[in-house]
Amino acid sequence: MSLDIRPTLSALLRNRTGAVLVAAQVAIALAVLANAAYLIVQRIEKIHRPTGIDEQNIFVIESAGFTARFHQRASVREDLAYLRGLSGVIAATATNSIPLSDSGDSDSLVTRPDARRSGYINDLEIDEQGLETLGVRLISGRNFRHEEIQPPRTRSDVSRFVPVIIVSRELGEYLFPQQNPLGKQVFDAFNHTATIIGVVDPIMGTFPGSEHPDRVFFVPRMPDEFIVVRYLVHTRPGQRDALMRLAESHLATSNADRVINFVRPLTYFKNLSYLSASSMEIYLLTVTALVIAVTSLGIFALATFNVSTRTKQIGTRRAVGARRRDIVRYFLIENGLITSVGVLAGCALALAAGYWLSVRYALPRLDLYYLVGGVLALWAIGQLAAWQPARRAAAVPPSVATRTV
Amino acid sequence: MFGYYLRLALKSFGRNPGITALMVIAIALGIAVCVMTLTVYHAMSGNPIWWKNDRLYAVTMDNWDPNHPLIPSRPELPPPEMTYKDTQFLFASNIPERKVVMYSTEGVVSGVGTAPPAQIATRVTTADFFAMFEVPFLYGNGWTAGADRPPQPLIVLSRRENEKLFGGANSVGRTLRWNDHEFRIVGVLNDWFPRPRYYDLNGGNFQTPDDAYIPYAWGSDLQLLNKEENDCWRPEKLDNFRDFEASDCVWQQMWVELPDAASLVRFQSFMDGYWAEQRKAGRFERPKNNRLTNVSHWLRDNQVVDNDNRVLVGLAFAFLALCLINTVGLLLAKFLNGAAVTGIRRALGASRRQIFGQLLIEVGVVSVLGALLGLALAALGLLAVHHMYAAAHLGERGGSQELMHFDVVGVVWALILAVAATLAAGLYPAWRIGRLSPAVYLKSQ
Repeated sequence: MSLDIRPTLSALLRNRTGAVLVAAQVAIALAVLANAAYLIVQRIEKIHRPTGIDEQNIFVIESAGFTARFHQRASVREDLAYLRGLSGVIAATATNSIPLSDSGDSDSLVTRPDARRSGYINDLEIDEQGLETLGVRLISGRNFRHEEIQPPRTRSDVSRFVPVIIVSRELGEYLFPQQNPLGKQVFDAFNHTATIIGVVDPIMGTFPGSEHPDRVFFVPRMPDEFIVVRYLVHTRPGQRDALMRLAESHLATSNADRVINFVRPLTYFKNLSYLSASSMEIYLLTVTALVIAVTSLGIFALATFNVSTRTKQIGTRRAVGARRRDIVRYFLIENGLITSVGVLAGCALALAAGYWLSVRYALPRLDLYYLVGGVLALWAIGQLAAWQPARRAAAVPPSVATRTV
Repeated sequence: MFGYYLRLALKSFGRNPGITALMVIAIALGIAVCVMTLTVYHAMSGNPIWWKNDRLYAVTMDNWDPNHPLIPSRPELPPPEMTYKDTQFLFASNIPERKVVMYSTEGVVSGVGTAPPAQIATRVTTADFFAMFEVPFLYGNGWTAGADRPPQPLIVLSRRENEKLFGGANSVGRTLRWNDHEFRIVGVLNDWFPRPRYYDLNGGNFQTPDDAYIPYAWGSDLQLLNKEENDCWRPEKLDNFRDFEASDCVWQQMWVELPDAASLVRFQSFMDGYWAEQRKAGRFERPKNNRLTNVSHWLRDNQVVDNDNRVLVGLAFAFLALCLINTVGLLLAKFLNGAAVTGIRRALGASRRQIFGQLLIEVGVVSVLGALLGLALAALGLLAVHHMYAAAHLGERGGSQELMHFDVVGVVWALILAVAATLAAGLYPAWRIGRLSPAVYLKSQ
C-alpha cells in the first residue's frame, strides 16, 4: 500500500484543481453533516420525549359563558355529568389550561416562607378524575377526593390557594431533593400553604417548550369563574373522534348562555407546540440528504472525468504489467487521499461552525461523536462514489497504450 | 455575437447532456434551498410599518421582581407589558402626538340575525389605535378619544368578521351584542394583516389582528383581562379586579407616536421623572430601565426572527457553496474535455477574451436554467411547508404558515443567486481554459 501512495500523491500534485475542488466539497459536506445531524438529533429527542399523558385518546372542549344568566358552577356540573355518562368515556375533568399547549398558568412555589423565589412552576387545575383523564399514574400518596375539589375562584378572591396538591415526580425531586415530598408543606406566592398528598409518574404540563416542562403540580379546584372553562375527556382507544362529534353537537345547544369555542383532539395542541421543531427537523433531514447526494455525485463525476482523461496512461500501466486490481486500487487510494485532506479541513470547519453556533445562538456545543461519524460516513461515500469509475478504469485494455488517441 | 455564443453553448450541452443536467440540478438545488429559507427569513424579518420607525415607540418600564427578571434568559429586558397604573399616568401626558394603551381580550358576539353566538378576539384600546398604526377602513371610522372614558358602546369590526356577520354589507350604524351588552358598529376595517403583528406579539408573532375593537375603559367596566399574558410577581392583595389594577401585574400594552427627537427626549425624561418618584415610594426596585423602543428594535428585542431561522439561512448558503464548488468541478471537467474545440477556435483567431466570454455565457445559460428549476422547486417546497403548517392549524389563519408564500422576494433572490452562481462557478474554469495554449490540443489531434 505504502508503495502506491507516493506515485498517487505526485500525480495528484501535478493535477491539483480537481482534487482541491473535491476536497473542498468534502470539507463543506462534513461541516454541514456533523452540525445538521447534531441539531436533528436534539430536535428528535425534544419532539419524541414521552409526555406521560395518554395524548392519543384525549380531546379538549372549550366553553365560554357570556351572559349575566350564565352560572358557571352549574354548567360545569351539568357538562361533566353528560361527558362522564357517555359510553366510551373513561374519565373527564374540568381544567383551566390545556396540557402540552404552551399556554397556561404558573405559580411561585417554595418550601420555606422566607425562601428566595427564583422562578415559576406550572400548575393545572383538575378534579378527582383529573389524573385518570390524563392517564397518569400515582407513584405514592393518594388522589384528590371529590369533597376536596375547591369551588372556582371568583372575581373577589383571586389569590385563594388550595389545602392540598399533587406534584410530578420531577417537581418533588426539585423541591425536596433526596427526601420524600409526601406530606411536606409548600408555600405559594402569597405564602399560603398546601400539603403534598400525592406524587405522580413523570408528566409534562402545559409548557413543553420550557426548560423544565416536567415540573408540574395539580391543584384540586374548578376553573376560575371569570375565564373560559376547558374540559379534558379521556376516551377508549379508537372512540375519540366519534365522541368528539357527539359531544360537540350536544354541548353546542345544551346551554344558550355559553358558546363552545372548539372541540379538538389534544394532539392538535401538541403538534402546534412542536410545529417549528418538527419542520426544522424535516428541513435539516432534507438538506442533509441533498448534501450527501450532491457530494457523492461530485466525487463520482470527477473520478469519471479523471478516468476518461487518463485512459492512455491506464493503458500504459496495464501494458507494463499492472493488474486490474492495481488500477482499481490506484483510483481508490487517490480518492482516499483527496477525501482525507477534505475531511481534515472539514473537521476544522465543522468545529468552527459548531463553536460559532454555540456562541452566537446559544446552541449546545457540537458533540465530537457526530464529527467522527461524519468523517467515517464521508470516507465511505467517497470510496463508494469512486468505485464504479475505478472499475471502469480497470476495464481499459492494455492495447489502448498503442493507439494514438 | 451573443446569439452565436448561445448557440455554441446549446451545442456544447448536447455533447455532454449528463454533465450538463448534473450542473443544472446542482445549481437548482442550491438556489431552491436558499430561496426557500430567504423567503421565510424575509417574511419574518420584515418591519410592516418601517416608514414610522422614527416615530412609533413601545413604552416599557422594569417594575419586576428585584430578585429575578421576568424572562430569565433576557435579564436586560423590562417586561414587554405594563401595569395598569403606570399606563394611566403616562397616558395623561400630552407630549406624544398619538398614544395608545390597549390589550387583547375575548368576547362573545351575539344578537345578529340567525348567526350563532361566537367568541372573537377583541382589542380593548384607546382611540388613537387606528390612526397610529394606519389601519385601513372599509366603512366608517374609529371612535374619538371622548368615547374611551366613560366608555361608549361602540365597536369596530374586522372585514372578516363583518363578512361573517353581515355578509360583507356596510354594517355601520347597526348593533350587536358583545358579551351580552349592546354595541353600535362605527367602523369596518379593510383587509389588514401586518406581519409580524408588531404592536402585540403575544400568542405568536404572526397572529391575525383582532376581529373587534372596543373603547378602552370597557376593560375596567367589564373587568376584562388580557387573554394571553397577565403576569404578576409581587405578593400583594390581589383578590379582585380593582386590586389587579392597583397591582404590579403587567398586562397592558402602550405605544406612543413622537414626531421628533425633541419630543422623544421630553417623553423619556417624563417617564424617568415618574420612575424616580415611584421609586421613592418603594416601587421599581430593579435598575432603571425605562424604554422607548422603535419597531425594528422591538422586533429584534422580542426575537421575532428566531435563531433557528438564522441557522437555516447559514446552512442554506453552505449548501449553495457546496453545489457551486461541485459545478466548478464539473465545468472544469467539461471544458477540459472540449479543450480541443477551444484550441481550434483559438488557432482560427479567437482572442482569449472572446473564448472567456463565450465560456462564461455557457455557464450563464446553465445558471439561468438552474435558477428557473430552482425557483420552481422553491415554490413547490414552500407550498408543501405551507400545507404542512396550515394542516397543523386546522386551516385557521395566523400561524407561521403566513410566512410560507412564494413572492417576488424569492424571484429577486433567485436572480441574484443565479448571477452570483455564474460568476462564482464560471470565472475560474473559463479563465483557466482561456489561458490554455492552443498548440497542445491541436498537436494531439
